[in-house]
Amino acid sequence: MTARIWRRSIPLCQTQVHTDNVAKRAKYMEVLVSDLKTAIQRPKRWDTPLDSEMTDEMVTRLLGVAPFSQMNPESFVKRVPLRGVLKNDCRLLDFEKGDIIIREGDYGHSAFLILEGEALVSLKRLPANILGRQNRKPKGWFRALAQLWENSSVPEARDYENKKTSPLGSRESAAGTRVFLQDIPSVLDMNFTATINEGEIFGEISALTRTPRTATVVANERTMVLEIRWQGFRELMKRDNALRDQVDRLYRQNSLKSHLREIDLLADLTPEQLQVVADHTLFESYGTYDWNREFKSTRKEDISERILQEPLIAKSGEYVNGLVLVRNGFARLSRSHGSGHQTIAYLGKGETFGLRELAHNWRSGEQKPWMLSLRAVGYVDILRIPTEIVESTVLPHMAQDTFPLPIQDPKQPQGERKFQHRQTREAAMDAGLMEFLVENRFINGAQTMMIDLDRCTRCDDCVRACANAHDNNPRFIRHGPKYDHWMIANACMHCLDPVCMIGCPTGAIGRDEESGTVTINDQTCIGCSTCANSCPYSNIRMVDIFDPKGKALVDQNTELPIQKATKCDLCVDQMGGPACQRACPHDALVRIDLSTPTEITAWSADQS
Amino acid sequence: MKRARMNLGKTTGRFAKRRIRSAAIAIVLTVVFVLVIAALNQTLNHGSHVSGYVLFVAIVFLALFNLRKKLTFLPMLGTARAWMQLHIYVGLSTFIMFGVHLSWRIPNGQFEMVLAGLYLFVALSGVYGLYITRVLPKRLTNLPEEIIYERIPAFRKRLTLQARELVLSAAETSDVLARFYANRLAAFFEQPRSFSYVIKPSSRQCRQLVSEIQDLDRYLSSSHREVGKELAAIVKQKDDLDYHHAIQGRLKVWLFVHIATTYSLLLFAVLHGIMAHAFGGGLR
Repeated sequence: MTARIWRRSIPLCQTQVHTDNVAKRAKYMEVLVSDLKTAIQRPKRWDTPLDSEMTDEMVTRLLGVAPFSQMNPESFVKRVPLRGVLKNDCRLLDFEKGDIIIREGDYGHSAFLILEGEALVSLKRLPANILGRQNRKPKGWFRALAQLWENSSVPEARDYENKKTSPLGSRESAAGTRVFLQDIPSVLDMNFTATINEGEIFGEISALTRTPRTATVVANERTMVLEIRWQGFRELMKRDNALRDQVDRLYRQNSLKSHLREIDLLADLTPEQLQVVADHTLFESYGTYDWNREFKSTRKEDISERILQEPLIAKSGEYVNGLVLVRNGFARLSRSHGSGHQTIAYLGKGETFGLRELAHNWRSGEQKPWMLSLRAVGYVDILRIPTEIVESTVLPHMAQDTFPLPIQDPKQPQGERKFQHRQTREAAMDAGLMEFLVENRFINGAQTMMIDLDRCTRCDDCVRACANAHDNNPRFIRHGPKYDHWMIANACMHCLDPVCMIGCPTGAIGRDEESGTVTINDQTCIGCSTCANSCPYSNIRMVDIFDPKGKALVDQNTELPIQKATKCDLCVDQMGGPACQRACPHDALVRIDLSTPTEITAWSADQS
Repeated sequence: MKRARMNLGKTTGRFAKRRIRSAAIAIVLTVVFVLVIAALNQTLNHGSHVSGYVLFVAIVFLALFNLRKKLTFLPMLGTARAWMQLHIYVGLSTFIMFGVHLSWRIPNGQFEMVLAGLYLFVALSGVYGLYITRVLPKRLTNLPEEIIYERIPAFRKRLTLQARELVLSAAETSDVLARFYANRLAAFFEQPRSFSYVIKPSSRQCRQLVSEIQDLDRYLSSSHREVGKELAAIVKQKDDLDYHHAIQGRLKVWLFVHIATTYSLLLFAVLHGIMAHAFGGGLR
């Protein structure tokens, strides 16, 4: 209205001049802005397919094979069609007899479908050396002492002349390095193997739940396998009820109850009650599976922005729709503080969220909402037990003394009982230190090297001790991010979510199930750098290697130096455990589990 | 999954409790030692021989700490922090043992004077070491950057090059900064800091140079003022590097001196023992 009145009051000639000026200015601005920007195509989900060589003919052939032939392409959304999933999230792999398809203990992000041939799955645990890993045991007295004179004066020396033979062979294929068993009958106990035939899927639970593979699968003849990466497999499950029900059933059958049994507050339930809970439990995943890549690229962004980008699992103020159990990964508990979000605590595997609100509402008849927000840090898998099941099956059977305290003052929210216990710990933990640990994802570390700089005299005894234990090659750098007087040194943290283990073609990097120590088998490491590139903390170093006389070891074909991945192995082959910690005279260095605040709180109390 | 967990204390001030406990044990053992030697002397035994041997064993034990550091892979030798605690309290107890051994008198022989001097030097350097290892790390922590000692020369070189490049880039249009660099900053960047700075590092020179750079503002164009600010930032970084070098260097030099003199002390102590037996009639 105002513009119309304004135009009416101006003579026509003047309006014309004004319009010309506006057009000129707009043109000028367009030119100016175009100088400041470069137009690119917006990145899309399938910019980088799993295999760029997948053709439309291959996809058409796959669509004729079960289970894809039984899927309804109409049930897929236009943006993510079935053909697209097959073309971009899948690849065909050829395996010869004896080739290892998946290896027990490995982490992987793909499920597999046998298209032709058959594979054997070992029902018995295979020895570490068969799987390409090293079964390293602590050295004896004499061997330990002999390090005094046996340690090499050449850095990163490897004695290839006296290399031991491995039961594993390796060969190059179009899809990369393949590892195979030299002689299947001598390795696999045929009485304890099962056969996987054409049309059968395997490896999906481990890929979806980000847990280690539970068995080794070996090709029993020339076998063609379709690898489906996690994102594609999830899409297939979302759109195809039969596949979803099958995976759901398998998970509920094999894994869910054991997960639920690990939860303290469900420990007293009868098998029937636990079955009811299991039948109604929902599976949810939040965050990005490849969080490590995203983390590397976004770590320089503003912290408050990053928190807001984290997927919300539960939002404060909203209806409490169930009890949340963290199955894998980490979640940040935060509350709104000023114009940002303040981290209150972090929850890891096996911890719960929401019990206090649920118990309060059940007892009082009120409808208190979530008191805090829960956000996914990286990638989180949760189980959600719906409110009605908690109220009908869990709460009535809980002992009175295990109930969390009622919510007194909504302005000072507390979490559940377990969280309340944490709350007291976090009260002792510096809030800034907590933000630092969560922001840098150090909460992933189970054996993080933490240094109290107020006590550290920079004498480097820890570095020398590490070198002594590793043939004169230190396996960490006494340097790293610091907060106040705490430093997290560049040493392998032996993470709870070891993303470095995803994608190792030979299985050289592995985790000991008992101790959780992640080690690299130097003999089977091919120096591909996959682990080093994946480590979000840059704690794996690629090194050129030399023979004992100091001559560089090079590839006989390309003359390029041969590299090996190296990192802290927690001195698994030393008698006393991590030499760095034992060597610090000033109580300045510890290997500490940061996945829960318990140890760090106790240690910082000691230091005070 | 079972994990090897540290045995971390659950209550506040585990170190404080450890300090009290260790000090109490050291005091009790020292008092026992004094009483035993007094009793021996009263019964006309050679208390000085016994006190000498105990003192020598204590010093050998203290010197073994360095050997323990070399044998990191033998867990049965105990952790370095346990050795450190023993080193501190046994070391402090030797002051009393030394006094008792000398019957609280100044030795009169030249050899004994040298030996006593060596002991006092090693022992007092140990006390000084205890002090600086508790105080200096905090000073280093207060600096914005954590720097590994061996990398300091490379960082210095890099900063010097950065400063030179900055000044040269500005020299095309004005020589104010170039002259200032030649007259005031070249020595700061390219020469080692004075001995007095190494002994007692301070940021006085840095503050002065930054202030002088700021004073140049009135002679500089706006773009050169920015260069001046960058130059001032590099001066501060260089000063931090020098501070790291001085403090970390002191910690390293102290340890070297403490260990080197310990070996001399051991040698003199052995000779002293031989002479005591040769000319003193041996143990009864």
